[in-house]
Amino acid sequence: MKNSCVSISKLLEPYFDQELPGEEKRRVEEHLQKCQPCQESLRSMQGIRGAIKPPVDEAIEKEDFQSMWQNIQREIRLREKPSWREVIRGWLDISPLFRKKVWIPALATVAILVFVMVPFLFKKTPSPSVLSVVEYVDSPMYNVMVYESEKSNVTVIWLFDGQEEESSTS
Amino acid sequence: MAYDEAGLISRCQQGDQEALRAIFEQYQKKVYRIAYGVVREREDARDVVQEVFIKLFRSIKNFRGKSQFYTYLYRMAMNTALDHVRKIKKTRASSLDEEGSPQPADEIQDRPEQIFYQKELEEKLKEALEKLPADQKATLIFREIEELSYQEIAETMRCSIGTVMSRLHYGRKKLQELLKDDLKRDF
Repeated sequence: MKNSCVSISKLLEPYFDQELPGEEKRRVEEHLQKCQPCQESLRSMQGIRGAIKPPVDEAIEKEDFQSMWQNIQREIRLREKPSWREVIRGWLDISPLFRKKVWIPALATVAILVFVMVPFLFKKTPSPSVLSVVEYVDSPMYNVMVYESEKSNVTVIWLFDGQEEESSTS
Repeated sequence: MAYDEAGLISRCQQGDQEALRAIFEQYQKKVYRIAYGVVREREDARDVVQEVFIKLFRSIKNFRGKSQFYTYLYRMAMNTALDHVRKIKKTRASSLDEEGSPQPADEIQDRPEQIFYQKELEEKLKEALEKLPADQKATLIFREIEELSYQEIAETMRCSIGTVMSRLHYGRKKLQELLKDDLKRDF
């Protein structure tokens, strides 16, 4: 490599990428006219560019961007439908009160109340015994038994004759 | 009608799909070029473009306008394309385990020599690009395909101009080594 190549080689890529100011650009162009290896380097860079870029331009010509947009729209719509978890999360986020988490003490109070009340609500109380008055009267013709319910004002009278037949009236 | 990018971004941030459509129309080809540059397949490039604009619609709220919008979009496009290639590589590795190496398609064998050469070169280029580190590949694509200046690449990739130049240099050097036999043929 010539001495001039060493100083120019750093400028060769920026020259190729059109990043050099006028003065340096002229220096590189002058050098290139007389330097075969630097011309070869430049051709090599052009070869890479020639391999990378044209297939992209060809592909772009064949593309249907309208259908691409329709797919994007469809996909956005589909992804916009939230799952039930997101719905719940979203609902919790709606209220600023929920966001500030002031609902935690309120929720704790409700939980305690439920805890205290449940035993009362579901406690099985024994059904009150039906108070009744039973009287039994012996007589020569019939034996009489009287039953009175206090709650529903029902009176039942049994008459037993001697042969232990029974009849009832109410 | 003039293209009011700031207004469109603001509308898009509020969920306006028509604004997204206007942004899509403005940038569709640029994003496609980045996508195709990385994946080198039309179908995959389409998938990447669609994914980029769906992502953009969901995340544009995070764009604060501190940098230029195109740097935000190009970065998103490049990352999505590189992720796509990683996913393809994984899938290909697992399917190769099951099926063995793929055979060349019969239709290619019937084509004229130049078309065959171009197809072959494209395949070789794709393989060579896959061997480059992601940052060198991204820099090369921004420069060679999107034709961004060093300054624009530096802003997009959030690095210095010196880093851009270094990545370009090593990327080109590696590609030249990998493709030295394939680039010499002349038609």
